[in-house]
Amino acid sequence: MDQIQNTYKVISNEKLCQQFWCLSFDAPDLLKEVKPGQFVHIRSNEGLEPFFRRPFSVYRAQRYVEIFYEAKGPGTRLLAAKTKGDPLDVLGPLGTPFVLPSLDIKQVVMIAGGIGVAPMLILSDILKKRKLDLVLLYGGRTRAHVYPMKEFKDNGVKVHIATDDGSVGVKGRVSDLFEKVKFNSHDTFIYTCGPNPMMKAVQDFALKNNIKGQAACEEIMACGLGACLGCSILTKHGYKTVCHDGPAFDLDDVILH
Amino acid sequence: MPNLSIKIGNTTFKNPVTVASGTFGHAEKYFNLEEVKKLGAIVPKTVTLLPQVGNPPVRIWETPSGMINAIGIENPGIDVFIEKKLPSFKKIGVPLIVSVLGHNPEQFVSIIEKLNSQDGIAAIELNLSCPNLGHKTLMAQDAKATEALLKKVTSISKFPVIAKLSPNVTDISEIAQGAEAGGADAVSLINTLTAMAIDIRTRKSRIGNFTGGLSGPAIRPVAVAMVHKVYQAVKIPIIGMGGIAKAEDALEFIIAGATMVATGTINFVNPRASLEVLEGITAYMKEQKISDIKDLIGCLQK
Ligand SMILES: Cc1cc2nc3c(=O)[nH]c(=O)nc-3n(C[C@H](O)[C@H](O)[C@H](O)COP(=O)(O)OP(=O)(O)OC[C@H]3O[C@@H](n4cnc5c(N)ncnc54)[C@H](O)[C@@H]3O)c2cc1C
Ligand SMILES: Cc1cc2nc3c(=O)[nH]c(=O)nc-3n(C[C@H](O)[C@H](O)[C@H](O)COP(=O)(O)O)c2cc1C
Ligand code: FES
Repeated sequence: MDQIQNTYKVISNEKLCQQFWCLSFDAPDLLKEVKPGQFVHIRSNEGLEPFFRRPFSVYRAQRYVEIFYEAKGPGTRLLAAKTKGDPLDVLGPLGTPFVLPSLDIKQVVMIAGGIGVAPMLILSDILKKRKLDLVLLYGGRTRAHVYPMKEFKDNGVKVHIATDDGSVGVKGRVSDLFEKVKFNSHDTFIYTCGPNPMMKAVQDFALKNNIKGQAACEEIMACGLGACLGCSILTKHGYKTVCHDGPAFDLDDVILH
Repeated sequence: MPNLSIKIGNTTFKNPVTVASGTFGHAEKYFNLEEVKKLGAIVPKTVTLLPQVGNPPVRIWETPSGMINAIGIENPGIDVFIEKKLPSFKKIGVPLIVSVLGHNPEQFVSIIEKLNSQDGIAAIELNLSCPNLGHKTLMAQDAKATEALLKKVTSISKFPVIAKLSPNVTDISEIAQGAEAGGADAVSLINTLTAMAIDIRTRKSRIGNFTGGLSGPAIRPVAVAMVHKVYQAVKIPIIGMGGIAKAEDALEFIIAGATMVATGTINFVNPRASLEVLEGITAYMKEQKISDIKDLIGCLQK
């Protein structure tokens, strides 16, 4: 691909539950290239307010490229106002994708908090082609943060849900779902994405039990291209950019707080 | 086709549009190299004598029409730059302005000596003005120190030398005059304005390094005024920057007295901004029937 920036057409933009939206856009060139864990950097309006682009994991790449997002601030609210046919200014696909599990892995456990579930669907779209047990542990704050997750179930993913208030699934945090799964250090692989304290709990659990895995990290971004060095986070190998060296980092490398 | 070529020292650039240090990274990430070749010059991120790891996160913060950054000149150091990065920058085939920073005059001299053994460099820009390194004062806050440093550097550099100035001063034209007296071939301005943002819930700074530098369209009117002021004070060319987002912005700088213009922060939002600026300047000159860019530089009417 010559140019990483393009303007595409919005195909649909729907509210999936009280908090979450799914936007799809027609980008045949992106479709061919994008890998699980990569993201797109979207300009929410033509003007200078808000100023930065906004990064979103690719949620799905089948007929169209889809993002799954929470309308929480000015940028995402502008995104939620887009309708079919609107132009969408997109940079991507960006970032280093998830590594796929080696052949001796038999079980993949995806552990997501809130909107952190976004990169997991495209991952399960790829992994379902292999004979693996796929599990999703999902933590939402309330019923407003839970949607049907039919696409995961269609991919053969076993889904377990926890909410802070117990309005759906188990009452508690995503770590209260660990007991639902039999983790094996030799053949389980973990992917996690969500708020840092949640990923830190997953990391502590994985390291203690000697389970390999990756975390998809977030940091505020300007360029999204590894140019400004603004989105660096600490790893055992020094500062790394989330946008270029990540978002996917090994659980035994990234330093989470 | 209007004549867009300009000169800095003895070096001719085919057009006046470049990019601001620290905002372009590796050009190849931005767009195809055929496009980068159209620019007058490119400027990679500032390099120091020794490698620097940069500041702790959070390093950037979004502000109205701009951003605060405190990257802390994360870079691999001059030796690795020369060995690993310089060859790929040279391969692009566009004039290269290398931005360097020493923490004292001796370090500047060591860096220049190392670059002197290289070729394929169009000019060297001395970053006298990074606000994010915990120094009490910047080189570019002291006209005498600026002059003394420029004397040292220009006496040994085989490349034209540009002094990059800070807006965090009482009178930027005095510093520009110091640079000119020290033999600088050009000055570039402005670097970022010292800035802060506070999280009112935690009552902590948003920025890991506590303070940072403001850039982007928010600072443009300040930058235009400073270019105007410096243009009246010195004879050497000015490279103008600070919030340029489109051709009309760049033309303001040129009319105020800038010989060259650079896009910076806007590259993060619109990676083609520098090319659009170039296209827009050319279109404006055709429309205004101006055949040579030199007729535009500093043509501000009273
Ligand atoms: C690699 C990556 C992938 C992401 N994927 C998704 C996704 O699939 N779905 C989704 O809903 N959100 C995702 N996010 C978070 C999303 O970018 C923010 O929610 C969004 O930028 C908020 O913008 P705003 O204007 O609505 O909110 P505001 O909070 O007003 O934004 C202010 C500034 O903070 C930044 N910011 C706010 N929250 C975050 C965050 N969590 N991470 C990084 N920067 C942030 C914004 O980009 C902006 O620069 C991702 C972030 C990263 C870094
Ligand atoms: C993320 C970031 C990194 C920067 N790094 C450098 C640098 O390494 N050296 C330097 O001389 N200026 C650096 N600058 C300053 C710019 O080169 C420029 O002077 C300033 O941002 C004003 O221009 P702008 O508003 O168009 O960005 C940096 C600016 C930003 C936003
Ligand atoms: S956002 Fe610029 S380096 Fe990551």
